[in-house]
Amino acid sequence: MRLASKFLITGTAILILSGVLLLVTYSHGQAYQSTASRGQSFDEVSVEIPPAKLEPCLHCHIQGEHKNLWTPTLRWLTFGSFGLVFLFGFYQSTSIWIQRKPFKPLTTRFAEWVEERYQIAKPLNDILKKPVPSFARWWWYCLGGITFFLFVIQGTTGILLAFYYKPTAAEAYASIQFIENEVYFGAAIRAIHHWSANGMIVMAVAHMIRVFIMGAYKPPRELNWVSGVILLVLTLAFGFTGYLLPWDQRAFWASTVGTEIAGAVPAVGNLVLIFLRDGWGVTEATLGRFFGLHVLVIPIATVVSMLLHFMMIRRLGVKRPL
Amino acid sequence: MKDRSSHEILPDDKPVPFFPDHLMTEFWVAMGFLGLAIIIGAIGMFVPIGLQDPADPLNTPLHVKPEWYFLFLYQMLKVVPDYVFFGQIEGRVLVTVGTIVGLLGLMLLPFFDKRDDTKRAWRIRAVLSAVVVIIIIALTIWGEVS
Repeated sequence: MRLASKFLITGTAILILSGVLLLVTYSHGQAYQSTASRGQSFDEVSVEIPPAKLEPCLHCHIQGEHKNLWTPTLRWLTFGSFGLVFLFGFYQSTSIWIQRKPFKPLTTRFAEWVEERYQIAKPLNDILKKPVPSFARWWWYCLGGITFFLFVIQGTTGILLAFYYKPTAAEAYASIQFIENEVYFGAAIRAIHHWSANGMIVMAVAHMIRVFIMGAYKPPRELNWVSGVILLVLTLAFGFTGYLLPWDQRAFWASTVGTEIAGAVPAVGNLVLIFLRDGWGVTEATLGRFFGLHVLVIPIATVVSMLLHFMMIRRLGVKRPL
Repeated sequence: MKDRSSHEILPDDKPVPFFPDHLMTEFWVAMGFLGLAIIIGAIGMFVPIGLQDPADPLNTPLHVKPEWYFLFLYQMLKVVPDYVFFGQIEGRVLVTVGTIVGLLGLMLLPFFDKRDDTKRAWRIRAVLSAVVVIIIIALTIWGEVS
């Protein structure tokens, strides 16, 4: 059986390939033949007049006019895919009498291959088919999901901005100008990052108020509330560290007074101030520190807290309203 | 504690499978916000966020303000008197320590409030959060205009 199908496929492939070769050589041969019949050698033609204008290659020249390479490419794609569909259908319908088994698509075979090795179908099915009470689809239960989605947007646009941003006092301002004026869609990416940062804080607070009013923090969901407050603090820290990065007057002085607020705490205030600013004043060292916190430390902490937050929601479900 | 079993799903809840029903609800909400983000990006192409003058440590601008979500805290620090409680406590210390204690209290809230929930408790908490939100918004606006 296998041998027969191999012969079938190889034979068809050889036939089609030879047909294509024949067609190509035939059309090229024609072009060269007619050039030669005028009694001009190839060199002379290429110096005087481009050969394509004399006797155009019929692949790119349609009715004497030069359409560029796209026309033959598109033609190949269209008719070639027709041919592939035909070939596939032929193979599919013949395979039942070659293999004596119903045809199994490649995707199914690949899924079975993976399943044999990972054995993931059952746990994955359990995860996906877990019943959710229908009240969990009311809109005010969406606030937390919206916050998460805004975090995903922040991650994506943040990575795009980090490609061009330079966290040094000399270059930070100019690199933001470069992002806004030179980079394709740079201004759009920065606007999305700016506004969804504000939106994330609003949504996180709204989610928190919803949970507070509905009493969803009560036992057994204490740890979910604790991880949620940690996530709110991390979100605020995201905003606080990100605000300095443009290194303009507003950013510089907002960070100065912001760290001053932290410095007003008794006993540990000065320590916190020196840790945040990496010194007594807001300098380039502060910029580097805030950048590191903003793109490495806080994101990792946020993702870990989010995992804990979501896993506990999975376990305990959404609180039933009264 | 009746609420311990609240994570069990009853037939009364008319459960739907997480996938596709619940996930698709979230997906369409997410798509709505993605559309919003794209609109914001399109506006941002024509009206960029922009920059002020480059940072200059020697030149303090007239109105120095933190980000809007820290503005209420900053405004409280500005308007609190230097010494409160008959000159016993520094005002700034009171505000900062109060904020930290408040945040810690908020974090530990479920360990203090374990009673079963009632409609009345809902109403009290709703009024409480409305009052806090209005105070914070008022302080923010005050900080913005002053």
